[in-house]
Amino acid sequence: MQNAISGLGLAPDAAMVTFPIGLFLPGSDIAPVEARKREFYDGLTRWTPSVAGGAGGASRVIAVPGATFEDALVNANHAMLANQWGDGLPLWPPTRVRVDWILQGTPRPRAHALGTFPPRGGVATVETCAIALAMAGGRPEYLPVLVAAVEAFLDPESGSEQLQAASGSAFPVVIVNGPIGRQIRLNSGFGCLGPDPQHPAGASIGRALRLLQQNVGGARPGVGTMANYGGLRYTNVVFAEDEDNLPAGWPSHGTERHGFAPGQSSISLVFANGATNIRRRGAKKETPAEDALQGMHRMADFMRVPNLAGLAGYERGAPGILMIPGVVAQTMTGLGWTKRSMREFLWEHSRIPAEQLRRAGGYAWIEIDASQVARESAALDPWPITASPDNFVLIVAGGGHPTNSYWLQGYSPGVVGREIRVPEGFGRLLAEAERDLGG
Amino acid sequence: MVTLEFFDPSGRLEVKQPHARRLDALAGKRVGFVSNEQWQAYRMLPLLKSLLERDFAGIEVLPIDAFPQGNALIGTEETAEQVKKSGVDAVIIGNAA
Repeated sequence: MQNAISGLGLAPDAAMVTFPIGLFLPGSDIAPVEARKREFYDGLTRWTPSVAGGAGGASRVIAVPGATFEDALVNANHAMLANQWGDGLPLWPPTRVRVDWILQGTPRPRAHALGTFPPRGGVATVETCAIALAMAGGRPEYLPVLVAAVEAFLDPESGSEQLQAASGSAFPVVIVNGPIGRQIRLNSGFGCLGPDPQHPAGASIGRALRLLQQNVGGARPGVGTMANYGGLRYTNVVFAEDEDNLPAGWPSHGTERHGFAPGQSSISLVFANGATNIRRRGAKKETPAEDALQGMHRMADFMRVPNLAGLAGYERGAPGILMIPGVVAQTMTGLGWTKRSMREFLWEHSRIPAEQLRRAGGYAWIEIDASQVARESAALDPWPITASPDNFVLIVAGGGHPTNSYWLQGYSPGVVGREIRVPEGFGRLLAEAERDLGG
Repeated sequence: MVTLEFFDPSGRLEVKQPHARRLDALAGKRVGFVSNEQWQAYRMLPLLKSLLERDFAGIEVLPIDAFPQGNALIGTEETAEQVKKSGVDAVIIGNAA
């Protein structure tokens, strides 16, 4: 709650009367409200904030001693955890040398403010991004992607103001298009959502974004974020679309959803809160057409669940991100499928019969949704999980193997795109990466 | 001895406005509720209303539905305007997060 208060530009404190969660559950004994009524009365009459205001100016510098460098490194990691700035994994201390090195990756001044991170309201600057990227083991050539992702994250259209603190365990998914993906070693193929020493960029960028969410935005579990589970939050999800394997006639995601010119490096940010593998390929003597159709049904069936995650972006967000390997996209294109026809199939076949929605209590959630379009959708039977087929994010990515596809369950009021801006001399940074990491 | 110096990663905060001034007393005042209509607000806030009315002479506590309710509405400028126009001296916001 203090995060939310400071996020409004007030001193980070509030007159609050807090109770254990049991009081807020159906059928609870609410007698404690009367027992503690004086605290409510004092909140209206006598309360004063215990914090006068926040610190201003440049980032504060911490000094940590040690008998040796290794000792100081250990102590620095301890200090970062003690201050609740870490994520439990080892961190690079964001020294001035390391932060200045990373700042070579942007054409913008280090003090340039990108906005305030909800709910706490900490100011995100280019320097703050570089600090987070330094902690996360990043490199300068990753910074343009992180800065673009932060800009998109802070766009009100993304929904981050609510999702940062909400219980639904939302995590940002950053989809990268354009040449920068290959240039900075972002994964678009085998294992693109996981660790990969050949493609280390996604983990560092996503981890840095998460550290910003936590440290600048105040989203600490159980305090600033009430996410029940918080899955995929160590590194969020950052990957590139496999543009080399897009079928002929398929626009890239950045071009199709955001209108970026082909070849423009860009990011697209979507919130998700679930991830699952879907076995897509047939197992016996299916014809190619049968194999494709069965796979489409299996994917649509998986989306047809009444847990209402997609309500968050019903009108113009995304019910989820469907990832299919390039080999599958190319095969299906050869069979006459198009990106549009796949979306329309998924939209039609993921609709939920009213009876299933009713027995799961789904209508109560639809009726209280902020979107009029979503509320009016309650009249539709079967109920479409999103307002339009266009809302499905369909991405070509993943290893060149036809068996599986992947569904990132959407929880995203909007899908926000940003162009990526690189500094002059970016080629030198890429050459240095090749020197450091191998060709 | 080695010293590692590194940046605090938490960024700075900007305090742009003060908290609302507290009331000198509750007797004779007009108090409203802004409710998200969740987490048993429909039980707890009316209880609070009855307690205030019992304990403070001349207090007027508006019903919980005097202003728009629900997360989708309580943070809007329209709701803030309604609260201001109502002439309340104080507002209690509930319930939980």
